[in-house]
Amino acid sequence: MLGKLLKYDLKWVYKVVVIFYILAFIFSVFTRICFSIENSMLFNIIGQVMSGITISMLVSSLINGFMRSWVRFVTNVYKDESYLTHTLPVEKKTMYLSKVLTAIICAFTTVIVALVCIFIAYYSQTNMDFLKQSFEIVANTYNTTIINLVLVISFVAFLEILFIILVGYVGIIIGHRSNKNKMVKSIIIGFASYMATSILTLVLIYIAGLFNENIMNIINTTNMANVETIKCIMTAGIVIYSIYNIIYYLVGKKQLEKGVNVD
Amino acid sequence: MELVECKELCKEFDGKPILKNINLTIPRGKIIGLLGKNGMGKSTLIKLMNDLLVPSSGEVLINGSKPGVDSKKIISYLPERTYLDKSMTIAQVFKFFEEFYENFNIEKATKLLKDLDLELNKKISQMSKGMQEKLQLILVMSREAQLYILDEPLGGVDPATRDYILDTILSNFNEGASVIISTHLIADIERILDEVIFIDKGEIVLTSPADDLRKKENASIDEIFRRCFKC
Repeated sequence: MLGKLLKYDLKWVYKVVVIFYILAFIFSVFTRICFSIENSMLFNIIGQVMSGITISMLVSSLINGFMRSWVRFVTNVYKDESYLTHTLPVEKKTMYLSKVLTAIICAFTTVIVALVCIFIAYYSQTNMDFLKQSFEIVANTYNTTIINLVLVISFVAFLEILFIILVGYVGIIIGHRSNKNKMVKSIIIGFASYMATSILTLVLIYIAGLFNENIMNIINTTNMANVETIKCIMTAGIVIYSIYNIIYYLVGKKQLEKGVNVD
Repeated sequence: MELVECKELCKEFDGKPILKNINLTIPRGKIIGLLGKNGMGKSTLIKLMNDLLVPSSGEVLINGSKPGVDSKKIISYLPERTYLDKSMTIAQVFKFFEEFYENFNIEKATKLLKDLDLELNKKISQMSKGMQEKLQLILVMSREAQLYILDEPLGGVDPATRDYILDTILSNFNEGASVIISTHLIADIERILDEVIFIDKGEIVLTSPADDLRKKENASIDEIFRRCFKC
């Protein structure tokens, strides 16, 4: 059943997001064409405009992906369509997992599209060398390889994206447990959960700082932190955000399994 | 085991009781009218049977179990509102039902659709609300379910369409299945009812076989209802 639900959820979300992908792709090609014409002030200006539009299309596709995933959740689970959704012979936890996976897949494809479009628009040997050198400097600083560095950055980005998605879903689920002002409450709860968790992370870092002078120095001074301290904070961040994501996922699942009260 | 059993079922919204201590059983193979004025709790009771609401206390049992995946396989439910994704075509909706409900009979649905002169590739968004309601009725009645729950199927439709709806229900429900029809338009459905349940202010005030009630009161169900619920 998960596969079937996923198919319909993805179809619904991508219906609009794909338009942004196509536009981003088209404008990235235009950017490339304009920048490839040398010694032309006019094409350089047009290229800058095209470049701006490409980036805005990519940002729009990411925001749209999140928004449509949340809107799909609300319409499908709490509005008119819920009369069909909740009478399908599907467990609520499967329904929830499908929505979460939809948002993750959408965010993942947006990142892929962004990389492709950026490559089309800006690829040159000079840019590639610059990128490689930058990564090499950072990787050497942290005493690691470029691949490891890219993997860690990607994983941190994935955790952050997942965190935003799950906080949104939990906000919607808890907000819709009340009988009045459901949407307003959903937004407030989602935002408050995000802020509360972020503050909790800072508090945890502060507590860690009480036992580790290097960590406390990051909080109290403007001195450059040493590599080992940054590595330590990165590792702790990954662990903490993984735990947050698991907790938010379970809270959303448990709350939804308790049942819904549709309008 | 009864098909549906409600035990001490209560539902409140913001502390206001909507259903009060409902004790009810729905037998197999009957057409049952759930009758009451608007806002008396008919839809709430139906939503509880369909897992669309959580009881405040008490429980609903379908085939002996709480509403869940198993109950949803055997209940075919027609809500009072349109629930289809407007961007889909009729063919896509049929495919959707075929994928999720093992007991959905696509041949029957296609045949019923032909009677309405509707094309499979027509988009839901291009259909009138009345047409969408008819399509939903076709979808619901094309399932070989054990229990059909129809919430206000006659609400807001013209007399000719009412006849179409009643004929569709009568000629398509699964043999041995039960049908619960919630309505306040009693005169239109009274001829098809085996049993009646009167609900008022969140309480069941009467349950009886339709013929027994008619004989006892020497009046039609519609007249009895009017007497019972006189303002």
